[in-house]
Amino acid sequence: MFRKFYLLYGFLVLGTVAFGQYRGWSLDTINQLKNIPKSVRDNPGSYRSVYGGYHHYTGGK
Amino acid sequence: MSTGAPPLSGPPKPQAKALNCPKCGAAIVLRSFGQAETVVCASCHCILDAKDPNLAILQQFEIETSDIRPLIPLGTRGKLRGTDYEVIGFERRSTQVDGITYCWHEYVLYNPYKGVGYLSEYNGHWNDISICKVLPTVDHNMFGGSSLTANYLGESYKHFQTADANTDFVLGEFPWQVRVGEKAAVTDYVHPPRVLSSEQLDQEVTWSIGEYMYGREIWETFKLPGRPPEAMGVYENQPSAVRTNVTGMWVAFAGFVVFLLALMSGFAMRAKKEPVFHETYRYNRADSKAEASFVTDVFELTGRTSTVEVKTYAPVSNHWIYLNYALINQDTGQAWDFGREVRYYYGYDSDGSWTEGKQNDDVVIPSVPPGHYYLRIEPEADPSLSGIPYTVDVTHDVPVYGIYGIAFLALLVPVIIISFRAYTFERSRWSESDHPPMQLSSSSGDDE
Repeated sequence: MFRKFYLLYGFLVLGTVAFGQYRGWSLDTINQLKNIPKSVRDNPGSYRSVYGGYHHYTGGK
Repeated sequence: MSTGAPPLSGPPKPQAKALNCPKCGAAIVLRSFGQAETVVCASCHCILDAKDPNLAILQQFEIETSDIRPLIPLGTRGKLRGTDYEVIGFERRSTQVDGITYCWHEYVLYNPYKGVGYLSEYNGHWNDISICKVLPTVDHNMFGGSSLTANYLGESYKHFQTADANTDFVLGEFPWQVRVGEKAAVTDYVHPPRVLSSEQLDQEVTWSIGEYMYGREIWETFKLPGRPPEAMGVYENQPSAVRTNVTGMWVAFAGFVVFLLALMSGFAMRAKKEPVFHETYRYNRADSKAEASFVTDVFELTGRTSTVEVKTYAPVSNHWIYLNYALINQDTGQAWDFGREVRYYYGYDSDGSWTEGKQNDDVVIPSVPPGHYYLRIEPEADPSLSGIPYTVDVTHDVPVYGIYGIAFLALLVPVIIISFRAYTFERSRWSESDHPPMQLSSSSGDDE
């Protein structure tokens, strides 16, 4: 019984991988925005990145 | 026309025979008719000769406690695996292993047409037992004084335990000459859910085959009130809690891994890995007072919706540079906003030399549709850095291998859990045997 369930589950995993690869899934988390004004191309400063003001790393070990 | 007369055809309905104990005069009921060899008086604990019309006394025994009571009262009837049985006898038996006494109970069942059957119960574990119809064969490879395997009706049984079983208490009728204090050498071979047992008394060897039953099945069969006692531990022939073929699971897993590798190679070969943008820029701190952000030239992504990889290289050395990126679709206004830091530190301390970070970074943007794109880049850098070059590379349609790693783990984890559960179950089972797990080489529990 469990073996049948595992077989089903396995094919589901493989199917998801194949679909994900085909659709270009990635493991990186990227913030997606819509309707960015065309003026950004002429005035890049008019766009504010959500990652601005990041607290940077300041030294090694 | 006759009315109300019972039909005369068919076998006569069995009736119990009532007698009295020659010792104490208590009533004795014989339910098995000619089948019983001995019958026990429940009142004075005399074992009587059931074949003798006068019920000759064969033995009288003392009981240490009055707590010994059958869970299924004598005279209870029930349909066990298609056969109607009545409980006619009960005995408690025990064995001593390493100074510990283990007790179990056996019930004698009777059906006037099918004969005698047996039930055994130990710590809430039940077995439906019958006498073997053919003689099992025993493999004579000796191990620890006992044969390793026995074969019965084409099935191989592993030796589990050999012990002396003592009869402590008896009640009801028995189709053999039962005696309290009688010792028999009992050897059990298991093939869950079955157990093959040989019982040697003097020169006589009796083979029986038992099949595991759950307490609730017994309760349902005999319509007993309340709930059966909770089964404790793992019994020798108890079916594994993992009712699946563990080896089969591993074979299926191996098959899936092969599929996964095939998928990986297929998509890796199919991926275009098309470089669509490459440029080197320079960050100058002197310019940072003005607007630092800028946009790149437009590049085109063609084909289907796919991944876009953005690689950054900067020859930093004990410094960092941070780039606020936005990949913007010029046609639709859709944007992917992300920040990437490139940092590389090294040094030497009491532990020796060390390094941290690296001079390049890459990120894969998921599911980017075809279209015309440009990057908006806003660099920031370590305040101690006056200026540094950095290179940005954009590649379209790259394979993402991490997904395969996750899929591998997703396929592996259930098999590991099942194998571990099967292993611990079998370990518990065999820890009670003559072959505890330390000596065990192949008891991984592939219960079908």
